[in-house]
Amino acid sequence: MHSHIRPNQFCVLQLPSDQRRIIKLEPNTTVHLGKYGNFAANQVIGRPFYLTFEIQDTAEADGYKLRVVSATELHAENLIEEAEGDGEGEGDGNESGEGTPMRTNQTIIDSNSTQRLTWQEIEDLKKEAGGSGKAIIAKIMESHSAIDQKTAFSLAKYTLRKRKKYIKRFTIVPLDVSTLANFMLQEKDASKTMEMRDEHIGLLGCFGNVHHSGGTPLEAIPDMKPNGRYIVVDETGGLIVAAMAERMGILYPHDKDEEEEQSLAVEEQPEIPEESKDTRRQHVRPMSATNNTLTVIHAQTQPNLSLLKYFGYDTSAPDESHPLHTHLKSITWLQLVDPSRDPILATEPPVIPAEELAEMKTNKRSAYYFKRNRYQKVKSVSDEARAGEFDGLIAGTLFDPASVLKHVVPLLSGSAQVSIYSPYIEPLVQLMDYYSTGRRTAWINKKRDLESQKPAGGTLDLSSLYEEFTVNPTLLLPPTLHHARVRGWQVLPGRTHPLMTERGGAEGYLFHGTRVIPHEEAIQAAGTFRKKRKLESTSTPTNDRDVVMS
Amino acid sequence: MPSPFLTPGTRAQPDNIALLHLRRDQSIPTILRTQDDECQGYKEGKVTTTRFGVFPHSTMLDQPWGSQIAASKVDTGSRGRRPANPAKRKADELDESGTTTGVDDDTPVQKAVAAASGFLHMMYPTPEAWTLSLPHRTQVVYSPDYSYILHRLRVRAGGTIIEAGAGSGSFTHASVRAVFNGYPEEQQKKRKLGKVCSYEFHEQRAGRIREEISQHGLDGLVEVTHRDVCKDGFLLGDSETGSSPNATAVFLDLPAPWLALKHLVRKPASGGPSPLDPSSTVYICTFSPCLEQVEKTVRVMRQLSWLNIEMVEVQDHRIDVKRERVGLETEGIRGATVFPTTVEEAADKLWAEEERAKILRSGSNKNLSPEETAALKEAEIAITESMKPKTSTPMYDLGRLVHRSEPELKSHTSYLVFAILPRDWTEEDEQKCREQWPPSKLDALQDKGKSKKQLKRESKSQRMAESIAKKTAEKAAEADAEADAETS
Repeated sequence: MHSHIRPNQFCVLQLPSDQRRIIKLEPNTTVHLGKYGNFAANQVIGRPFYLTFEIQDTAEADGYKLRVVSATELHAENLIEEAEGDGEGEGDGNESGEGTPMRTNQTIIDSNSTQRLTWQEIEDLKKEAGGSGKAIIAKIMESHSAIDQKTAFSLAKYTLRKRKKYIKRFTIVPLDVSTLANFMLQEKDASKTMEMRDEHIGLLGCFGNVHHSGGTPLEAIPDMKPNGRYIVVDETGGLIVAAMAERMGILYPHDKDEEEEQSLAVEEQPEIPEESKDTRRQHVRPMSATNNTLTVIHAQTQPNLSLLKYFGYDTSAPDESHPLHTHLKSITWLQLVDPSRDPILATEPPVIPAEELAEMKTNKRSAYYFKRNRYQKVKSVSDEARAGEFDGLIAGTLFDPASVLKHVVPLLSGSAQVSIYSPYIEPLVQLMDYYSTGRRTAWINKKRDLESQKPAGGTLDLSSLYEEFTVNPTLLLPPTLHHARVRGWQVLPGRTHPLMTERGGAEGYLFHGTRVIPHEEAIQAAGTFRKKRKLESTSTPTNDRDVVMS
Repeated sequence: MPSPFLTPGTRAQPDNIALLHLRRDQSIPTILRTQDDECQGYKEGKVTTTRFGVFPHSTMLDQPWGSQIAASKVDTGSRGRRPANPAKRKADELDESGTTTGVDDDTPVQKAVAAASGFLHMMYPTPEAWTLSLPHRTQVVYSPDYSYILHRLRVRAGGTIIEAGAGSGSFTHASVRAVFNGYPEEQQKKRKLGKVCSYEFHEQRAGRIREEISQHGLDGLVEVTHRDVCKDGFLLGDSETGSSPNATAVFLDLPAPWLALKHLVRKPASGGPSPLDPSSTVYICTFSPCLEQVEKTVRVMRQLSWLNIEMVEVQDHRIDVKRERVGLETEGIRGATVFPTTVEEAADKLWAEEERAKILRSGSNKNLSPEETAALKEAEIAITESMKPKTSTPMYDLGRLVHRSEPELKSHTSYLVFAILPRDWTEEDEQKCREQWPPSKLDALQDKGKSKKQLKRESKSQRMAESIAKKTAEKAAEADAEADAETS
């Protein structure tokens, strides 16, 4: 999917200043990089990703102005340094201070006079000097009066700083979920994606057990329900949906098995309703897949999935060949929780017989089809969602997570995973408490009381329990809270250490649990959980009854 | 057989692997059987014994996944003697294949009788749960590490990953889930199926992992090779003439990963095929606990033209949430500290104790009239009442909600070195590309790619130019007019 740079594809441009930009490479256009110059898109389209290009001062005969910088050249300094390091290693005597004394910054005096070039001269150099910026750097280094006093480390830092400023190089990186997440974090407003980092995205998907469903024909496996159906609550503008779709193999339109996906989707779609058969074009129905699907539940009338545009999927102008067209379903909370109050679901547009339809005006007819199709689409997604049996819940939400779990956990099949991301710990700590052993026990006891009170044949009303407990604590085991953080290191011979600065902000936490199906009758626990030396409140009560309600 | 790891279905089927969840971090993996394949001699067929009771598999089969299962009353005393195979440990239970037949296969399995207490939850396995319950053979790669690694290595459905140092199989299970996009035998249409190529140099461990893979229904998705990859490389089948795995991602959990790197190049020195996918970027991650290993690895990576070399470590911890029950009202509650929660409460308590002592002292005076004694008693009751908590909170809501790290931290697992190897790009490829995309061809509409700043600047300079032109034109016109006037 990312074998080479394709035309009209979004990709990420990495500049020497470590700045990144998302660009769409359109054929026959020029890309401007500000002070680093510009290049023709045609000169990179079709080439592999991750190559570093240098913008040359003079073009080749056919107008090609770039040069691929080889890995050896990129690593040149480190390689030389390492080779020298090897030499030093042989004569161990040097280290005891016998040889050249170690240079320190003891004698360096802070002053502006060390650099003999004035800024005016540097400006002039920029205009004249060639060599893609290398000439300027060489000149600047040459004119530095105290360069021989610098320690090896500070010299390296100085060179790097100058290079970042002047060298005319860039690298093109494929735009995938990881690069997009980092781009949002570093270049854009990080709070828009809830400051989600790579480690969170990875854990969120793994704890949610999100994966491709295999595309197996259902008959082949006995007792097989449609599988790979996940519920997503995404308030990161589509980053979570993109990450999950990437795991499920439905994010990229250029997948090698693209045609395969399409044909599957056509097969999978339910019976085509009568009235759409006479339309001229055979549409691939949106949201029609039964397997390997993501169901997004959203709080507004339309889901905010704007980041998906970078992957070729735009909700306002759907591309029917994109796998997300059939595999991504969206539903509002109202349509899920109380469909009778939803304006679309509450009033089914009446079916008009074909003869009558034929006499209608074109615009009226298309309006009829639009309404009818919309109703059917929403209805089928809502019915399917309310029937439940989902394989997992993945959420990163502004809601109180408990209110999401209250409604969604009952829709999960047994053993399905729940995985929730939050930038802050407090909502998740609260959620952990909602599933505490104490609450579970109290729920079981109170439910038993309700059962004994209810008249024979009557239905059990659990609403009073939900009022007290918010969620049913017996449906999720074992509630777990995780925190992960990646720390970067610099690895250079003799200079290996953790990076000096890193991004602060939200830490990011993950809640994780498994949906279970409690036995109809309360079963008493057996065995002793408690170790003798551990008699604190963290131990689990020995059985469901031994916690006395105060 | 579909794997319960990937497509579990709704109910537990015979020969599926199930995880019997006892409590947090305690699950027993077991293969569900209809017959007693281990010759345990129970009348109920195969049973699993736990600290919370005995669970015959007949009570679990065909139950929905995630169900709470009640323990059964099982006669453990009078069962037949086990055949000579004394040492059976947890790990062995897994490795027992279905080929051994029970002693009394013919006798029907007796129906289990529910016990008075005890239960567990039967779950389908996930790589995360498996990681926590698998039999340890080596150091295990845990979820926070492997989830990050797989994400960074861009291991996706349909991809191929090389994993060297299969170890205990934790990473293997996670990566097979990541690459899975269909079982090989059901493949009718032509599409690339995901695959894990796993290498292990320890013969016994390689055998174990092979058995596990097949028991878990992952045959064909994982290819286990017993090989020292540092010496013999990564080709499938024969180490010299074998086929290339065409991997797009590589994970090396080896003691000396830098020794294996020489095989992971585009054009191996041996002249054989490269194990890497020629049409794709290749992502690599090495997993080493020591800095010295990292430095050596990074050095060799630089020499072999790997790019974007980066080293990180994942720091992860689990957070325990509990209620810290402190308060005077918590008397008699297990685990609670009876201690005032505020200064006011402490002051009140001190006052009340003093008052009570006063009453006690005056109560010891024998010359009191009965009325006075009654009054004293009343006063004492009033004090006791005033100290009682005003509201009653349910037990589960009592105290302050607090969180802290788990008691034992995994503060260092390993250092992860990531790197990227771009596709090979030859002069011929470049020439072809130039033919397809002429380097100097540009569309007329050029403002598209310019930055806003540039556009602004340009439009400004254009406006300036226009106004200057206008002015000069006006001047010229004036001059003309003047000239006209003069001539007339």
